Amino acid sequence: MESTISLKTKGKGKGSKGASSSDDKSKFDFVKEWSNWSLKKAKVATHYGFIPLIIIIGMNSDPKPNLFQLLSPV
Amino acid sequence: MADLLPPLTAAQVDAKTKVDEKVDYSNLPSPVPYEELHREAFMSLKADNFEGLRFDFTKALNQKFSLSHSVMMGPTEVPSQSAETIKIPTAHYEFGANYFEPKLMLIGRVMTDGRLNARLKADLTDKLIVKANAQITNEPHLSHAMFNFDYMGSDYRAQLQLGNSALIGATYIQSVTNRLSLGGEVFWAGVPRKSGIGYAARYESDKMVATAQVASTGAVVMNYVQKISEKVSLATDFMFNYFSRDVTASVGYDYILRQARVRGKIDSNGVASALVEERLSMGLNFLLSAELDHKKKDYKFGFGLTVG
Repeated sequence: MESTISLKTKGKGKGSKGASSSDDKSKFDFVKEWSNWSLKKAKVATHYGFIPLIIIIGMNSDPKPNLFQLLSPV
Repeated sequence: MADLLPPLTAAQVDAKTKVDEKVDYSNLPSPVPYEELHREAFMSLKADNFEGLRFDFTKALNQKFSLSHSVMMGPTEVPSQSAETIKIPTAHYEFGANYFEPKLMLIGRVMTDGRLNARLKADLTDKLIVKANAQITNEPHLSHAMFNFDYMGSDYRAQLQLGNSALIGATYIQSVTNRLSLGGEVFWAGVPRKSGIGYAARYESDKMVATAQVASTGAVVMNYVQKISEKVSLATDFMFNYFSRDVTASVGYDYILRQARVRGKIDSNGVASALVEERLSMGLNFLLSAELDHKKKDYKFGFGLTVG
């Protein structure tokens, strides 16, 4: 009985919280969160991928240089 | 109708022969971009003096693509609260890749501590250019990025700038006559909430360039460059800030010789500096830099080699 009561209160609490959060979260907050997430991902992608991107574009331009020229220091 | 046509063509021929005396207002040249307003003056007066050793090696893999390796060793200044400058000796290696095409330019530089400096310039159409510049670090909240959209009209240029941490700016510059161009800028920064507006003017002829710029942040910059000959040009600059009452005047020179380029300047803050770039042979340049700050007793000397 106690466990069911506690479960019920937990369920109620969750329910009320869920209801209030859906009321507070307007579309604008959703867009802001989504844009923050995408900017963070874009920052990480640029940080790791920009130089490899330049190298890939450069190695595919013509006249096509070969891998040895890329890696050798001379 | 036929009677009207011959007088028009005669008037056009007259305008062409008199082009030296009369300004053709419908056909003005495109002005200099707003951020390059002071470019001739800053070539002599804001030469990049450095301290320590600098070694740059650029290896071209083909005409468009090149890799660069850079080593820099020397004291770097750390901003400090007190009047003394604090220098910490550092050494770093920077790897870079460049891709140049007529319509697309990509430059990336990454250092050993993980900092990336990325630049992109793309010509979207004939008249619209997009530029992006980003410095990305591993530490949170210290990275910034700036995007510029430039539109080039027949005798004007307009630019929109967007930066992270809510920075928006716009500049506009218009050629008023063959030699005079006027421009203005507006910016709004979100983080320290401030906005500003500024105006600029540039007058140039074959032998001289004079520019002036005023901003609502209180900065007034005026400079004048005189090209004495193909090899020699002299420049002078006057900056003051009417809120903080800071005044600086400087005089500099730029000698472009066959094998060397020497640039030097002296300042009203007691700073004398010089930069010598000497071409030892094809693709091999030797750099010497000196900056003496007598007021703060800070003397910086640097030497370097650039290959390729």
